[in-house]
Amino acid sequence: MRTFWLLYVAEFKLSFREMSSFIFGLFLPVGIMVIMGYLSTTNEELVTTFAAVATLGLVSTGVMSLPLSLSSYREKKVLKRYKVTPISPVQLLVAHVFYCFSLSILSMFTVSLVALFGFNMIFPGSIGLFLISYLFVMISIHSIGILIASTSPREKTTAAMSSLLFFSMFILSGATIPFDLLPSVLQSIAQLLPLTHGIELLQSQALGSPFTSYSSLLLLFVITIAATTLSLRFFRWE
Amino acid sequence: MTYAIEAEGLVKYYGNKQVLQGLNMNVKTGEIFGLIGANGAGKSTTIDCLLGTKKLDQGTVNILGTSPTTKHKSLFEQIGVQFQESAFQNGLTVKEICEITHSLYKNPIDWRTKLADYQLEHHVRSSISTLSGGERQKLCILLATMGQPKLLVLDELTTGLDPVARRQIWNNLRKLNDEGVTILLTSHDMHEIEALCDRILLLKHGNVFMEGTVQEVLSKSGAKSMDDAYLQLTGEGIR
Ligand SMILES: Nc1ncnc2c1ncn2[C@@H]1O[C@H](COP(=O)(O)OP(=O)(O)O)[C@@H](O)[C@H]1O
Ligand SMILES: [Mg+2]
Repeated sequence: MRTFWLLYVAEFKLSFREMSSFIFGLFLPVGIMVIMGYLSTTNEELVTTFAAVATLGLVSTGVMSLPLSLSSYREKKVLKRYKVTPISPVQLLVAHVFYCFSLSILSMFTVSLVALFGFNMIFPGSIGLFLISYLFVMISIHSIGILIASTSPREKTTAAMSSLLFFSMFILSGATIPFDLLPSVLQSIAQLLPLTHGIELLQSQALGSPFTSYSSLLLLFVITIAATTLSLRFFRWE
Repeated sequence: MTYAIEAEGLVKYYGNKQVLQGLNMNVKTGEIFGLIGANGAGKSTTIDCLLGTKKLDQGTVNILGTSPTTKHKSLFEQIGVQFQESAFQNGLTVKEICEITHSLYKNPIDWRTKLADYQLEHHVRSSISTLSGGERQKLCILLATMGQPKLLVLDELTTGLDPVARRQIWNNLRKLNDEGVTILLTSHDMHEIEALCDRILLLKHGNVFMEGTVQEVLSKSGAKSMDDAYLQLTGEGIR
């Protein structure tokens, strides 16, 4: 347990020293929330925007930080090193996943503070259901990150796959540019991205509108199960 | 006579390429054993197969009385390993890696005093990446010995170090061996082999080419130094 705690804290310190996860996962979403807050004219717009921007943290840890770190730990033989100690390298992986979850949740809370206190957002939906949906979307997106790490042969390949996925989700999923403003071609591409469905789910929970996003829910569920199963099947320690 | 490592008939393929060809080797408890051979001879692969980090295609390994694939946890309480690549999370400090490694073992050493023994006490807060090659390798020994192991496995620990750093490491290893630690090491430095090893095994294309004490290998080859012996025996000298 002490090892796990030390590894968890170390993952935080390492990522803080390196900064990019904090920039993409925390500062950027907060910045975007501030801008979008000024641009929102109604509370409904504000809530819709908030639910989308709140996912930026989980996307950046899920498809950037997680696969990049795991790939690097494999390529640099860090995982192999833990194989010849009394503990299993699984502990290091789990510690990193927990760090990712923590940063995602921290980012979501910070963004919600900005929306609530900076722009007087009134949250019409159920906070409990919103939080549960958030955790579900977070786990789902992270399972994709683990799949990338498991199947990518090299750190460089991981970096390319991660950036592609991150920036397409960042731009197309409605987290920065409202989905309705996208041309219809891009809208159909966006429908292929899991985050689009995650945001739809979160927005409906945040607005407290009657639940109709069954297909999004099902899709994310299938993605989570499939990505986790495939990762377990293909994961390599070195 | 007890053995820290007994390995018989090790066979390892990478794809179609056979890298270990039925290798036998024994490391006696309490000795310093040197595994030598050209780059690509199969030294690192042998170590991987002994420790179970690579799967053997054939052969048996007995290490500290058990198989490396069973009783993993209790076995690796007693074995310290430094692979050829020193593998740390980028950006960790010396203190952080020491604390993490310290937490892995039941009976760890007091790493702060050991840091001083290894002249690393000024680097407690330094990032590992800022250490010199020699400092990093000394840290690697310290980490490998954190759990007070009975067996140390060190792959090319001193490759690329300057003579002073190398001597410091030799002294550290001798001291550990005097305290009863069995050491298996690989090296390309024949002075190091002469200075440290009780017995050596010369590996060629994944087979035992010659083994014995340094004296035995010298007399079999008729050479004056291990350097000459190595060149003669491997037939890979400059002709
Ligand atoms: N993962 C691997 N896949 C395929 N071939 C490998 C792999 N690792 C090592 N080899 C090959 O096996 C041979 C032995 O390698 P190695 O055990 O690293 O030798 P040494 O440590 O003596 O330099 C070399 O020819 C090397 O190219
Ligand atoms: Mg090697």
